[in-house]
Amino acid sequence: MPKKLTWLTLVALAGLSLSACKILPTPSAQGGANASGFNPDKMVEEIWVAKVIPYLQQKAGPFAEVHALAKTDQAAAGAKYGNPKKQANSPWTFAVRVEGKIIAANTQSRAVTMDIDVDGDGKADARVQIGPAMRGTALRDSLDFVQFNDFTNQIDFAQFGKAFNAYADKTVLSKLPREALEGRTAKVLGAYTIEGGQDLPLVTPAEAEIGPKP
Amino acid sequence: MKLTRRMTLAAFAGVLALGTAAPAFAADLIAIITPSHDNPFFKAEAVGAEAKAKELGYEALVLVHDDDANKQSELIDTAIGRGAKAIILDNAGADATVAAVQKAKDAGIPSFLIDREINATGVAVAQIVSNNYQGAQLGAQEFVKLMGEKGNYVELVGKESDTNAGIRSKGYHDVIDDYPDLKKVAQQSANWSQTEAYSKMESILQANPDIKGVISGNDTMAMGAYAALAAANRKDVIVVGFDGSNDVRDSITSGGIKATVLQPAYAQAQMAVEQANDFIKNKKSPEKEKQLMDCVLVNGDNAAKLETFALKN
Repeated sequence: MPKKLTWLTLVALAGLSLSACKILPTPSAQGGANASGFNPDKMVEEIWVAKVIPYLQQKAGPFAEVHALAKTDQAAAGAKYGNPKKQANSPWTFAVRVEGKIIAANTQSRAVTMDIDVDGDGKADARVQIGPAMRGTALRDSLDFVQFNDFTNQIDFAQFGKAFNAYADKTVLSKLPREALEGRTAKVLGAYTIEGGQDLPLVTPAEAEIGPKP
Repeated sequence: MKLTRRMTLAAFAGVLALGTAAPAFAADLIAIITPSHDNPFFKAEAVGAEAKAKELGYEALVLVHDDDANKQSELIDTAIGRGAKAIILDNAGADATVAAVQKAKDAGIPSFLIDREINATGVAVAQIVSNNYQGAQLGAQEFVKLMGEKGNYVELVGKESDTNAGIRSKGYHDVIDDYPDLKKVAQQSANWSQTEAYSKMESILQANPDIKGVISGNDTMAMGAYAALAAANRKDVIVVGFDGSNDVRDSITSGGIKATVLQPAYAQAQMAVEQANDFIKNKKSPEKEKQLMDCVLVNGDNAAKLETFALKN
């Protein structure tokens, strides 16, 4: 209950700061959901520094540790690094720190990714997406103070999820280098969702640094 | 027309009176109301819910509203009149349904919504819906990959009154619009209908022979579109659907449609009945009213495992 109150307060605050702005008509393409002044980008901006980053910093574990536990005991990994208030039918999303060497990068796609070796065995352990096109809603889903039930519908909830990626892209990822990534070091704070596929775990960063060329 | 309507109303009034007079006779009834069973997705919901209801010792009243909010309202009256203990509902419109579900609530009958949300909370006991946005993202990511991140494409959108049509379209575009070399040359609603998708696709193709892909809001429209493309000798066009129907599974395994997104329709309907049972017997509401179920991408790798809206292990 106190959590929910905090959240409501935040929404109220977002509303307050909005009222200071000039309200422009909502483009019709966005449908009725936004007619109430729902502004996911603004909401994310309001909580990013105050709540999101501190939460991830406090919750995140080193990737190797998190992933090893996740592979053997998802519930235990969830209790420690995950969002315990996730939807019962959703997969776990974990907060992680990824630190290691970039051994491959896909910069041909709009969805640029870097494959990171965290344990020095020369093999990639995690894939970090650095935009501009980004997949999933891992950042949103890692936060225990964000609940689907607090949103009017899936569209609002989805736009809120997308706003996290957009904010990370705008403030952090778009400033990262895109050339000669192989061989450099990378340091990332973010989140990833356990998926069934064969691909490497896909980490969405909230903070990221890339070291100088070796 | 007017006369028929009045007679229907009179009939309902009669049923209502009967229901009030003899509630004991309808003690074990669960009403299951969905859109038309012409779409196998809704049929799977009804079959799943009915099977679970019978397993738990209820009588099931299976009804279809054909996406008509007025008809849905009448069916809710029927359920009330028959003294149903709970209503399992895949609804006919996010706004229009609120009053109908409220009417059932006022009559003391809890509603458990599946598949589609309504724009209100605290009216239904549960809203168990597929994470359509997450599913649409999966489908769109596969589509982007199949398209090689570039080329002209067409989007077929579902019925406008259905929130999921908008959610899926939004989910598709949240992914696809990040790729400026993917160009949408046409976007039309085919109202979830296979025949309508066939004719719309025919005319879109005439106007835009240079298309490379079609992303569809559901499987029945994907089937219609693919049939039109095949008839025009354009089997090279990439088609991606949504729902995970057996028809699309068969198309995928025979090299037709490339991918779809599975919604766990059968399991979802069964879960709703279990929650209704818990509510009826133990007066226990689910912990959260709105419950999201994740979707799964189905392509050539796992299509063979798909059967009646569930993946076998």
